[in-house]
Amino acid sequence: MDTLLGQGRAAIDLICDPQTFNENTVGAKTFDDPDFGPGAVVGTAKLEGETVTVIASDADAFNEKFPVVYAGIIGMEEGYKMAQAVYATLEADKAVAKANKRPIVLIVDTPGNGPGKVEEIFGMNKATGAYQLALAEARLAGHPIVAMVIGRAISGAFLCHGLQADHILSLDSDFGTMIHVMPLTSISRIIKKDMETLEKLAEGNPVFAAGPRFFSKLGGVEEIVTKIEDMHAAVARHVALVRAAKSQSDEATGPVGRGALGAERGGRVVRPEVIKLVEGQFAAVASAYLPGAH
Amino acid sequence: MSKWSTLQDRSFLESNARERAIGIVDEGTFTEFAGPLDRRTSPHLETLGEAVEFDDGIVTGVGKIGKTPVFVISQEGRFIGGSVGEVGGAKMVATLKTAIALADRIAKEFPKAADDEKPVVAISFETGGVRLHEANAGLLAHAEVMDQFQRARGKVPVITLIGSKVGCFGGMGFVAAATDAIVMSEFGRLGLTGPEVIEQEMGKDEFDSADRALVYRTTGGRHKYVMGDCNFIVADTVGAFRAQVAELAKLPVSAFEAMRRIGSAALVEKQLKGVALAAEMQPKDARDVWKHAGNADPVALANVPLDAFKATVKRLAL
Repeated sequence: MDTLLGQGRAAIDLICDPQTFNENTVGAKTFDDPDFGPGAVVGTAKLEGETVTVIASDADAFNEKFPVVYAGIIGMEEGYKMAQAVYATLEADKAVAKANKRPIVLIVDTPGNGPGKVEEIFGMNKATGAYQLALAEARLAGHPIVAMVIGRAISGAFLCHGLQADHILSLDSDFGTMIHVMPLTSISRIIKKDMETLEKLAEGNPVFAAGPRFFSKLGGVEEIVTKIEDMHAAVARHVALVRAAKSQSDEATGPVGRGALGAERGGRVVRPEVIKLVEGQFAAVASAYLPGAH
Repeated sequence: MSKWSTLQDRSFLESNARERAIGIVDEGTFTEFAGPLDRRTSPHLETLGEAVEFDDGIVTGVGKIGKTPVFVISQEGRFIGGSVGEVGGAKMVATLKTAIALADRIAKEFPKAADDEKPVVAISFETGGVRLHEANAGLLAHAEVMDQFQRARGKVPVITLIGSKVGCFGGMGFVAAATDAIVMSEFGRLGLTGPEVIEQEMGKDEFDSADRALVYRTTGGRHKYVMGDCNFIVADTVGAFRAQVAELAKLPVSAFEAMRRIGSAALVEKQLKGVALAAEMQPKDARDVWKHAGNADPVALANVPLDAFKATVKRLAL
């Protein structure tokens, strides 16, 4: 096996403790309708003996109610189902101390969000937004969230399922993993720059080229995993790293943490300067915005 | 640049990002952050030999409405479609962070502060999402904005304004959906997949992106109002958007939870009723849903003046 593309279900057993995955149950919640959001796989497994929530995509599933959903696409039902799994995780550990909340493992292989007319009429944007807010809430509540990219992590679908995690790991591009907004050929056509120029520029600037290594340079991926059999240990190690980091600060991981990592790795150095500039500019006028200052 | 007083009657649709930012807050109160004089241009556009803007196409700053500090983020559709890159994304994140920090400070140092002395954030969206010239940084910035929204929950209300030519699509379509309150004009459009992309994916017979009426009734302000996806629909003037923000600015932050469409387990259950309805109806057109909501003549309702629309429209009950 040299790729896991389209094999989200198989990856669950490779990443978690084998044969521990209990699909459709998260805490007290069960997902009983097999036709509901079939593109999303949710459930509970063990990782090094610890209970974890698992959320993945099923590339073989087709949602008959919403025919734009196939090949791992996250449609409206899928987005809300994933959000339900996160809220059920929060509920299950409501009484558990922040440091001991159960991890959430995101197995990422999704090519996009549902792009249809019915989806726009009813608001696909809400489904993907709902899932992201749920993940952000769980992350800030203490649940360690680790995303493992095993296949496609494309644009809005990666924002939805991956980029709210505490840490993101990716199999190397030898395994067919793809992380991008658009392939470079499409970007080349749209921004009207020839491929040769873009490929040359990408050597020095990772900001538009496709692939896990470029994302890593930008701080968008914490670690590249170079062997399939290393995924289990890497995810378990990152759960521990995330717990340790979060005990110090809620800005050490997640999107904010990846901002700092992007600067450290030299891929996104302007971001922190701009943030500092804005904070300084407000500090200079802040007294006028305090109560009683009018 | 128009004077503040003339801006109030100006079309929001026709105004630029800076005019909208200045006009939303009280006259003379706007202080810009990382403005054109700071020249924080995109290094990535420069690498590609593309033209840059000194504000990177996003105006950020702070002003006041009455006693309320109003942090403003305003996207400029005329610059690369209002797309979000590293600098513009950082300006959005920084403005949100600053607003949250002020709210924290006020909560600590001024525990008796009145509701209208606490900050709000207003974001005028005009964007298709990620800037392809710096796609990876733009994508990461979207995730960071979303994270700041969750951090702002219960501290600083975030109010979305949509009434621009470009509308609000792509990743910013779900960013907007994740805010507390959404104000649109009937010319505003909100969605995830833009009309051209749906046509490309599904074919022209299913969705003709050149059909403006179809585009507006699928993602436009009136439709979003029927669906409950925007909370308020206002006239197309800077003053009308400003008046709505001013109303909201007086409210306690706790009042905003009830305006949200997503952001809790209960709201997910509510939205799933809409999804079940979509599966059952399989609507061919947004008008089918208007009818289901109790509007007997959706064509007429789409064409009456805005005041008559607001007075008679039935909104979808979930």
